[in-house]
Parts: sequence; C-alpha cells; structure tokens
Amino acid sequence: MSGAVADKPDTITSRHDPRFEVTLYKYVGVEGAHTLDAYLAHGGYGAAKKAFGMEPSEVVDLVKASGLRGRGGAGFPAGVKWSFMPPVDGRQRFVVCNADESEPGSCKDRYLMEDDPHQLLEGMMIAGYAIGATKGVLYIRGEYYHAYERLRDAIEEARQRGYLGENVMDSGFDFDVILHRGAGAYICGEETALMNSFEGLRANPRLKPPFPAQAGVYGLPTTINNVTTLASAVHIIEKGADWYAAMGTDDSKGIHHVQISGAVNRPGVFEVPMGITYREIIFDLAGGPKGPAKAFIPGGTSCPLFPFDDEHLDLPMEYAAVAKAGSMMGTGGLIVIPEDQCIVDAMYNVTRFYAHESCGKCTPCREGVSTWLPKMFQKLLAGLGTPEDVDLMEDMVSNLRGTAFCPLADACAWPVQTSLKYFRNEYEHLAQHGTPLHPRKDRWQS
Amino acid sequence: MIELNTIRPYFEDKPDVLDEILGRYPEYGRRSAVMPLLWEVQRHERYVSEARIVEIAEIVGLTATEVRGVMSFYSTYHGEPVGKYHLQVCSTLSCKLAGSDEMCDHLEDSLGLVPGETDTEGLFSLQKVECLGSCTTAPVLQVNDTYYERVTRDELDALLDALRRGEMPTPKRAREGDNAQLGAAPLAGEAFEAGTAADAALADAEAAEPENPEGGAA
Repeated sequence: MSGAVADKPDTITSRHDPRFEVTLYKYVGVEGAHTLDAYLAHGGYGAAKKAFGMEPSEVVDLVKASGLRGRGGAGFPAGVKWSFMPPVDGRQRFVVCNADESEPGSCKDRYLMEDDPHQLLEGMMIAGYAIGATKGVLYIRGEYYHAYERLRDAIEEARQRGYLGENVMDSGFDFDVILHRGAGAYICGEETALMNSFEGLRANPRLKPPFPAQAGVYGLPTTINNVTTLASAVHIIEKGADWYAAMGTDDSKGIHHVQISGAVNRPGVFEVPMGITYREIIFDLAGGPKGPAKAFIPGGTSCPLFPFDDEHLDLPMEYAAVAKAGSMMGTGGLIVIPEDQCIVDAMYNVTRFYAHESCGKCTPCREGVSTWLPKMFQKLLAGLGTPEDVDLMEDMVSNLRGTAFCPLADACAWPVQTSLKYFRNEYEHLAQHGTPLHPRKDRWQS
Repeated sequence: MIELNTIRPYFEDKPDVLDEILGRYPEYGRRSAVMPLLWEVQRHERYVSEARIVEIAEIVGLTATEVRGVMSFYSTYHGEPVGKYHLQVCSTLSCKLAGSDEMCDHLEDSLGLVPGETDTEGLFSLQKVECLGSCTTAPVLQVNDTYYERVTRDELDALLDALRRGEMPTPKRAREGDNAQLGAAPLAGEAFEAGTAADAALADAEAAEPENPEGGAA
C-alpha cells in the first residue's frame, strides 16, 4: 500500500490523514471565488485585521515559529527573511511578490492568482505590515494575462472599498500594490533580476551582497517572497503557527502545492502536507504513471532527476531528504518521464529552454548553456555524435556547476548531469548507432 | 509594414492612459513605466515600431537605444507585426510529453507556416515558445493572450476554423486534476476514484463558466 510513511505519528504527512484540510487552495477552482464579496464572505481580510492588532515584530515571530519556508524554490525561512529588514528609518520600504512563475513544471501560483487574488493581496498586506512596507510590488509574468486581469480588478475593488490605500480598514496602516507585468523572461524569477526588470532595465541579475533587505527595489529596503509563501502567511496568522507546524516534518513544516505533469493519469495541482511521499503523490493523487516510467523530476526542470524506483518514490517530500538524495524540492513541479521517451531528446528540450533564457551576462552561461551544450545535443540527436562527445558533455556540465553568476547555469547542468548518471546508455546508444534507443512517437491525444 | 499609425504619436490622444501608467510608479521610478508603455502600444498595434520606441524614450527620459535594449531583452515584445491571431505553442518538457511537438507540426501543416512566420494576409502567426506555466494542463496553445489548455487534435482544428471566421472561442475549463475539485481527501488506503467527484465537479464548472477573455487581436 502506498502513502503514509510518517516519521512522527503526531504530525500530518499524508493527504490520507483525515486531519488534513485544504486551505490555500480551498477556493481555487471554485466559480466566482475571485471577487471581494466572495472573499469577505468566508472571512477574507480577517487575518490582516488580526495582524494589525499585533506588533509587527510579533507577526514576524509568528511566521518564524510556523517554520514557513519560501515556496518559490529555494526554501529560505520566510520569517527569518522578513527579520533581515533594517530598522525603520523613514525611507520607503517595499514588499515584492515574485509572481514570475516560470520554472518548467510549475503553475501553482497562476491558479491561485486567477481564482483567489484577494488571498495574495492579503498576504502581501500582512508581510508589508510585518516589515514596515507601505508599498507592495506584484511582479507577474507577462504571459499570465488572465491572472493579471483578475489581480488588476481585485486591486481596484480593494482600493474602492478601503482594503487597499491609505488607512487600510481603519487600521492606521497605509498599503497599496503596484501591479507590474513582465514580458517573457525566466531570469526574472531570480529576485534581483526581477528588481532590475521592475525598474525598467534589462533583467540581468545583480551582484549580492547587497541583499534586497539592504538595497532592493530602487535601492530601497525590500523583502521579496513567492506567491504561495505570502498567501501562507494569511492562514498562519489566522490559525496560528502551531497549526502550520503540525503538518510536515521537523525539517520542512506546513504545506506545499505539488504540480504534477508528464506521463501520469491525472495531472494537476494538489495541496499536500510536507513529508508526503512521492509515491503517494504520483500513485494516489495523480492516478499513477501512464505506462512504464523511468524517471521523475521532483521540483521543476532545474532539479536533478530521480530514477523511477522504490528508493526514490518512497522519499518524503521535504527539503532535507530530497537534498540528501541528490536533488531539490524546488517549486514542487513534478514531471514524470515515460520509459519510451528518449532521455537525450528530453534533456535537449530542457537545455534549449535554459539556452533561450540565459541573460548573456556571464561567460559560463552564455557560452556553455546558451551555445555549446545545445550544439552538442543537436550533434548527438542528428546522429553525428561520437562516444567522446558524451564524455565532453559530461565535462562541460560539471564545469558549469557553480561557476556562473547566478543559478541559471546550475539549473541547466543539474538535470543533464543526472541524466548522464542514470541513463548514460541512451547517450552512448545515440553516439554509437546514430539513432535513439527510444524513437520519437506521437504523444498527442486525439 | 504597417506604419500608417506612426505618423501620429500613440499617446497624443490618450493622455489619461499615459497618466495612469506613469502614475503607478513613484517619481524617482519613472523608468519603470517602460515595460507597461511597450505593452500598451503592442496590445493595440501588435508590435512596437521604431517610432513608438522613440516616443516612449522621450516620455520616460531615456534614449531610444536604452528602450530598444530593454525591449529586445524580453521575448514577448515584437519588433515586427504579428498576425491578428498570434499562435504560441508551448514546447517545453511537460507540453512536449503531452504532444506539443506533434501539435506544432500539425499547425505548420495546417497553416503553411514555420515557427516565426506570419501569413501574407496577416491573419495567423506561429511561434514556438518556452514554458507558459500550464504544465498540468498540457499541451497548451496561447492565442494572443488566451490560453487553450489540454488541446486535442480535433479541438485544435475546430479552433482554427473558428479563428478563420473571426471568432475567439471561450476556452474549456481543463483542470480536472485540481484538488479543489477532488473534494476531501479519502481515508487512508483508498485511492482517489477517477470519474466520480472530480468529473462531476468538472461538469458543473464547465456548465457554469461563461467567462470570456479578450476576443480578437491583442
């Protein structure tokens, strides 16, 4: 039987646990939930009101105590990040919501913004109050036009009825949000690149330090968090840190949103407690793989892939365990790769993505990711490769690791490197025979 | 190319639109208006011409080269007009595993275009794009600003027919995997039953979704 491998029986680590309740995604997929009236009808903006009755430092401490970690991929403790803000000195401070969701495999933020935009606005408001920021910046990727419209309307509605603007809900706290659309650049998910983009510059990442808390948007103190991180704050304020910490493991508390795609019977976005096993996600929630599977990527394409075997399926979804097994939990964008998919072709697809998205700032990424690695893949896939090329690719990806200005080059190198580790035979087959072990097949549903 | 409109500055008769965009940002952050100004122009003219770049540069106090530099960094701004219907096929891994390569081939055959081209009537343009964030409802085709998710072959043919008639169909709701629609988690040991609660919820959602995103040209 699958699922429910709790390391501590008193915490919730399975969707089968009857104590588990969907919270952030409760109204996602519910018709009409995006309006202010619908949001208020189920207690919306009550958490912000509650937060305004606390000291800002108490709000930060509560989020710290909950164990909430950044859900954009890196998993940095959110409350700790909030506490990095310098003392209030009269300068404008910003809370930025990173809604540039672009990691292949990820779509949790889009659904939340489309169907429950006020939840995010409330989360930004709480974060703003906690860190003393009266301005929020919501940077949403340009392609998410429907979500942009929903947010734009939600902001307008909130302003008109006193939920945004001066003296929010008669609290004495001013808070407003600038909604800003990106225009198709994965690199804007990197926090400092996002800030450059917001300022009307090319989105090259900035050198850190200084970190955003010291010099963020317009050089002013800034805290930046992912969409579901900010939305989580709403429920932590409402239900308490203990409620959140009662889910998950010691290392990784609370909930996450698994977005499962690829060769499974029921792809979708599922709210799950941390510590859930990949087996439960893939077999119970997603209905199992569609045909034999050979690998899965646990958290978006920039994570090293895992072979589809018992050892990896039984891993709990938590930062430490996944890292120990050699990958990352990332955004929770889980992709199942079928047995009959040529891994070289799949990794060329991934490489091509990063090649397209490299900003061109630093040499390893521009020359390695953007130029040479895709060329090597093209050579192999065209049947012109040699066994030495496979060695060369391995050498190249290991040289990309840790040498670039920002994590984009690692993001490309990791999956390729692990594919060479687990499926080297497919690369060698292509190099020797000029044809793939698994030829292309029609995967489109009629 | 279509340069007729460029005789007159775009924002000349739209001071309220311009003020609204500039007003979003603090005075010291005027440059932030570059991207929304580019969006505004492109939304109505399907591309941003050199004349518009110069105009935007003057508005925000930059050189045209600086604005061009920003614009060229981002992949969704167009320096040349795209068709009335800009078809963008997501081609990254999750969509590939759901058949986006075949979908793109089918579009190439149906339209007689290769990615990057616009037809001579200016009706369709075809582009392969990178991850659109619709991985759990792959494959996805974005037409102008609208996502068509889990597109099947038959649906794509019907969509193209509708577009040729000048109609922008309402996208189907394609999220049967969402846990909101799966309802409460089953008890330990039970697997979620496909074809029960989820399908019923989906049918309800489909029946009750009259929402119509932007029609026509962006």
